[in-house]
Amino acid sequence: MSSMSENGNADRGVSENCLTIDNFSITLGDFKADNLNLKVNAGEYCIIIGPTGAGKTILLETIAGIHRLKTGRIYLHGRDITDMPPELRGIGIVYQDYMLFPHMTIGDNIAFGLKQRGVSMEERVRKTAEIANKLGIGHLLGRYPQTLSGGEKQRAAIARAVILRPEVLLLDEPLSALDNTTRESLRRELKKLHKEMHTTIIHITHHFEDIYSLADRVVVMREGSIIQCGSVDEVVRKPDSRFIADFTGMENVFSGICTPAGNEASEIDIDGLKIYAVSERIGDVNVGIRPEELIISKEKLTSSARNSVRGEVIKITDNGIFSKIAVAEEISGTVFTAALTKQSIESMNIGIGDTVYLTFKATAVHVF
Amino acid sequence: MTIRTKHHFSLFKLFCTGTALAAVLGLIVIFAGMVLYPSFNDLIDCLLSEEIRFAITLSMVTALISTFLCAVIAIPAAYSMTRFDFFGKEAANILLNLPLSLPPLVAGIALLIFFSPVLSPFGSYLASIGINIVYTSAAIVIAQFFVNTPYMIRSLRSSFAMVNPRYEHTARTLGCSEWNTFVQVTLPMAKSGLIAGIVITWSKAMGEFGAVLMFAGAIAMKTETLPMALFINMTTGDIEKSVAAAIILLVISAVVLVAVEHFGKDKGVEYV
Repeated sequence: MSSMSENGNADRGVSENCLTIDNFSITLGDFKADNLNLKVNAGEYCIIIGPTGAGKTILLETIAGIHRLKTGRIYLHGRDITDMPPELRGIGIVYQDYMLFPHMTIGDNIAFGLKQRGVSMEERVRKTAEIANKLGIGHLLGRYPQTLSGGEKQRAAIARAVILRPEVLLLDEPLSALDNTTRESLRRELKKLHKEMHTTIIHITHHFEDIYSLADRVVVMREGSIIQCGSVDEVVRKPDSRFIADFTGMENVFSGICTPAGNEASEIDIDGLKIYAVSERIGDVNVGIRPEELIISKEKLTSSARNSVRGEVIKITDNGIFSKIAVAEEISGTVFTAALTKQSIESMNIGIGDTVYLTFKATAVHVF
Repeated sequence: MTIRTKHHFSLFKLFCTGTALAAVLGLIVIFAGMVLYPSFNDLIDCLLSEEIRFAITLSMVTALISTFLCAVIAIPAAYSMTRFDFFGKEAANILLNLPLSLPPLVAGIALLIFFSPVLSPFGSYLASIGINIVYTSAAIVIAQFFVNTPYMIRSLRSSFAMVNPRYEHTARTLGCSEWNTFVQVTLPMAKSGLIAGIVITWSKAMGEFGAVLMFAGAIAMKTETLPMALFINMTTGDIEKSVAAAIILLVISAVVLVAVEHFGKDKGVEYV
């Protein structure tokens, strides 16, 4: 965990703390996590990212009470819940593949938790209809899960978890199995639910859009440990390591030598190419620039931005939504990647082999 | 998905398919020969005879009881073997599979010695409090139970393994205890596999011969289950009665096969 985010946590005080994971260690088959610490504030939307096998799901399931800790404690609102069985924790979980009980109707699935609590039939029916309508699946209550689309199933699974008003809602890649349009609309739904219910949410994802539109805080995991934890801006623009930079789609990550250039600015030499950044670091550094920070033009721009490099377009790739343009800088051969819409490429009439300028601010250059 | 090549003549294909058809034909001819051997009237007389009716009742009842006992042990045991790690699990697994390759006769003689009033301390203790198991219908139940439990554990294990444990995790977070989760989620989701396993166990119990012969004996009108009736009447030369018992066993097997096919049908697409 970065020192920055830890300080940030301490500043907010204990009272706001919802979930605290203290010195968590677990061994499960081949998986091992050691001395993991995490604090999540009440009402916070916390997103966990990290490569497959980082232990994200195991962390969630342990918070839910499924797996036993080897050492360490878990606190919920200051109460030690380490040895509490899952059914008493008040923590809900939603998996990527829905896990709707196939032998029950959608209505019975959603009411399942209320039934366990001995809530009366009328109350169950009323609350189930209420939450189902809110999530737009009110007309599906009599159907069985097998007959629903992925998006409908995930709405039902979310309804089943939130109907109990859990103190913490755990979401394990809830949007990953859905197509783009459905994912988009369900993401909005999650945002709305979070706003209305003030539930603390911990959400695992592989999708960057989730971070931008949902997260208050981002936790980066790798091989059973948390390697960075901070606000969206901190993690995305100021990644702690090259791994995070690559994982968060920073794209333009280079190694260089940093020397002070006065006025808080510094000059970074990347194989002969000099760019300016705002940093106090000296010596060998990594720099990262997000593709969307690069302004591409055919003529040199006159702007306040400190950095302007000239190069040749070597590749244009199109992923349907936006295009990525690879530009080889003329002095060092460093390849920059810029992102822009297909339309703007067409209107600027940029093609492979063209000479273009890339302009970016010194503050857009992240040194780490 | 199977891909069939229909339009090309192939000697190889002809050979393989011909062999398969010959095997099926052999099966039909041989069983038809047995079924058609007694005259229809003789067969009806035999089926309605007191001895065969006794054998049917005894087989049905003992098989029902032993299957129930198997299920009582096998359901929790199979679940544990699927979900939990415990000390000695590997060894337990091997031991539980041993009876699968062991001739039931061996199980029968082991039971006989264990319960014998003269050969074992346990048997003599039972005799001292007036309980005698050997050569009684209780021995039939025990023999069937002993031989079939490992089969049932094995069959139920695969049914439980098909239920993704995340369903259970989800149920727990929704306020369900471990017991309730098992009853409300795991059992219903493993239902078709469980039913298939129970039906097969029952039919195996109906037909159990070796272990029952050793432990309960072949005593006419006392420990005479259907396989015993077949055996006893064969040794006394009453072939019609043997055939009557054999036909009943054949019909039961056929019905069980159809039932298992029916219940096991949706197994593959089940909630993985």
